[in-house]
Order: sequence, then structure tokens, then C-alpha cells
Amino acid sequence: MRLEHVGRRHGLRGPWVLREVGLDLPAGTLVRVLGTNGTGKSTLLRIVAGVDAPTDGRVTGRPDRTAYVPERFPVALPFTAGDYLVHLGRIQGLGPAAARAGAGEWLERFGAAEHARTDMAELSKGTSQKVAVAQALLADPDLLVLDEAWTGLDTGARAELDAAVRERRAAGATVVFVDHDPRRLAGEADAVYEVASGRVREKAPPERDPAGTPTGADEEATPGPRVRIAVSGGRGPLPGRLPGAPVVTAPGPGDTATVLTVDAAHSDALLAALLAASWHIDHLTTEGVRV
Amino acid sequence: MTALLRYQTGLLLRSQRWLAPLLLYAAVLGVGVTMGEPVLGALGVAAAALLPVTAWSVRICLTHEPPAARSVVAAAAGRGRAHLAALLTGTGLSALVGVVAVLGVTAFSDRRGVTALAASTTGLLAALACALTGAAVGALASRPFVLAPGWSLAALVLGSLLALATTGSPAKHAVTALITGARTLTATPPWLACAAAAVLAAAVAFCACRASARLE
Repeated sequence: MRLEHVGRRHGLRGPWVLREVGLDLPAGTLVRVLGTNGTGKSTLLRIVAGVDAPTDGRVTGRPDRTAYVPERFPVALPFTAGDYLVHLGRIQGLGPAAARAGAGEWLERFGAAEHARTDMAELSKGTSQKVAVAQALLADPDLLVLDEAWTGLDTGARAELDAAVRERRAAGATVVFVDHDPRRLAGEADAVYEVASGRVREKAPPERDPAGTPTGADEEATPGPRVRIAVSGGRGPLPGRLPGAPVVTAPGPGDTATVLTVDAAHSDALLAALLAASWHIDHLTTEGVRV
Repeated sequence: MTALLRYQTGLLLRSQRWLAPLLLYAAVLGVGVTMGEPVLGALGVAAAALLPVTAWSVRICLTHEPPAARSVVAAAAGRGRAHLAALLTGTGLSALVGVVAVLGVTAFSDRRGVTALAASTTGLLAALACALTGAAVGALASRPFVLAPGWSLAALVLGSLLALATTGSPAKHAVTALITGARTLTATPPWLACAAAAVLAAAVAFCACRASARLE
């Protein structure tokens, strides 16, 4: 997907918000958009998602399955959360059974399964944000646009969204996101763009090897530094899907700690997910660190 | 498109905002039509009243969805298609009400001089012409052309009056055919007015859907 000489102004004679934007968004990449408030980041994301059309220039090659999470989603809709997700799944092209199953699965993953029958108008801010994120992930989009989608989510749901973003990229989707937390998916973006005074320029991702931009598949092939996390005492079994797909070693006889080994890039997200699931972190070591 | 229409219909029916235009229509019919009056004149009232009611319900469908939810649907289905679904839902539901009204009015009016079939055909075509003209008025008086609610409402009322009173408007043509037909006891189905209204509504819908992603 590509943006060529894209410009956007509000209304017919409003001021230009963006000028001469050229962006290349290949499949299977994670793209971060930076910028201070009011610089036009959200406008750029809306154009990428196809919500707004550019005033100037053109957008080519946008995938059919596009999903967008707006920056605020305190929506008073006359549906229950479950029904809303089923409607959105159908609009994104899923059949009735697949839409219903997907709605249940994603609410479960974000820890909002008990709110499936709650009216949208009665949801808390955080839960309605979970619904906003769930609708975007329902139909396995090929283009996922996240405008500060993490804001308002609890720690477990944030880790889950991080994991979902990695899954989408690994499945060949383009993911474009804005988040004010610099640690969000730090070092994982394939490209970083900065929006300032209506222009967009590429920033070299600081933590990337200059030899090439590795994709998700390459990352798994090259062993980087790994982190061993020894945990114990969770109130239940380990959560089904953990960020970074760690190697889990069950406790041996006379031992209480379960050991998880994961890429250093995913360790923060994994720790957050474990803490959110009420597990106790006993011990933390790194292996293969080049200091 | 089916999924979008289902979503928009659910949104309209569950929000209960359809109630106000429906009550307006019922009130106009209650005041304007009396039992046993000549059928074609009564059908003229039923058709004419459908125009502002359709314009209103189209405006409701275009404006009541929260902007965040609208953006989400626009990304999933395309902004133009989402706009078209809202237009079709507003038009379709009030056209349905119009059909029920025409059949009811035909059943309970004085049908001397015209057959029930001729009366209902003429009435249905006139109602369709008025509904489509009303849809065009509603689409032009709301997003993305008129954004401020006050101006939008003013444009809606003024546009509806003009569409019923201006010579050359398909709605005026269809209603006039019914009212003169009531005097001469001849039912002439307004095919031409209906076709003209369909062309007008399609042209307005095309422009509105194209403009929706660009102007807002």
C-alpha cells in the first residue's frame, strides 16, 4: 500500500493539515507514527484507514480488510457489546457463525467476556475501548490502524493487544500505530515516521540493524538475547496466549517455580501479562546479552 | 451491503428515533384524511406528507451514529458504502410506512369511480415519488453538505416545502396528478414523476457518497 503526494485540508477552504505526504506501507510490517499533539497524526491515520479521502494525491493498494481503532470510543450505541461485535464482524465479511465465535473469542482474550450482554452505553471507558480493539481484530484484517488504541486498557489487555499486533504482522498484515508511550512495542517497528507541521518524514528506527529491516519471520530465526523468568503461585493456570510465545518449563519434583524463556524484545510484555494474571515473579535472568 | 443495512436498521429501530417522524406522519394522516372521503384526494395527502417524513428519517439515519462508530464502519466497509447504507435505510423504512398508509387509505376511503387496483397503483407510485424526492432533500440537508444542526433543520423544512410547491418537482407532479384525478375521477399512475424522482435521488445519493469522505 502506498500514499503519493497526499494532502488533506478540512472542508473546502480550511487550512491544510497534511501536505505532500509520501508513504510506503508494505505488507507484513509494523509502522510507528510519532508526533506531538495536533500535528496531524490522527488525520494521517484516518487517510491510511480510508475513513477520510485525501484532498490531494492518491492512496493505492489499500487491502480490502481494513480495521481502524479511533482514539476515543466512548460510544453510546443501542446494542450490547456482543451484538455490536457481531454486526461489525458481518460488515467486515464474516459469516454469522464466524462473527459470533470471533466476538466471544476476542472479548475473552481482552478479559471482557462477562460484558458481552452489557449495553454499549453502560460500559466503562476501559471496557468500551476493549470492544473497540476487539472489533478491529475480529476479521483478521490485512491493514490494522491503531490510533492510541492502548489508552484506557488495563495491563493485561495492553499485553494482549501487543501480542495481537505481533500476530497480525507475522500473518502478513500491515500495522500502523500511534502511541504516546515510547516503550510501546519499542524497537519492533520496521519503520518510524514523524509528523511535524503538516509534513511526514521517516526516522531511522534506532534499535534496528542497519544491514536490513528484519521481518517477524527473520526475528524468530536469529537468536537474540533471551530472558528467563521464574514464576510461581498463580491463582490459576498460565494464560493461554502469552506475548512472545515463551518456552515454558513446568516445575520439577520438589521445585515450585515454572520457568519461561522468551526473546528480550517480548520480556516486558510477558512480565506484564504474568503480573496481570496474579503470578509471582521469583527470579529474572538474561542469557546471551552483549554488554 | 446486507450487513451494513442490517446494522443501520438495528441502529435506527433500537434507538427509537424512528418514532418522531412516524408520529408526525400519523398525525398528518389523522388530521388530513377522513373516513369515506374520495380515495384519490386522500392518497394525495398520504403521498405529500411522506416527503418531509422521509427527509427527516434520512437525516436521522445520517446523523445519529456517533462519529467514532461511523469511522470504524467507514474503515471496514468504505465511507461511501456506509453513507449509502444510511441513506437506503432511512428511505426504505419510511417508504415501507408509506406503502402501509396507501393500502390503508385505499381500503377505508370512498372508491366510487375508480377501482381499488387503479387507486392503489396510483397511490403507491405517488408515494414512491414523494419518498424518493424526500430522500434527496434529506440527503442534501445533512452530512456532508450541511453540518450545523440548526441550518440542517432549516434546510430540511424549507427543502421539503419547496419540493412540494415548486413546478417541475417530481413530488409536486405526482401529488397534483392525484388531486386533479380526485376531481375528474380518473386515476393516472404518475410513472414519469416516479422515474424522475428515482433519477434525482440516485444522483443526489451518488454525490453525497462521493463527498462524504472528502468534505468532512
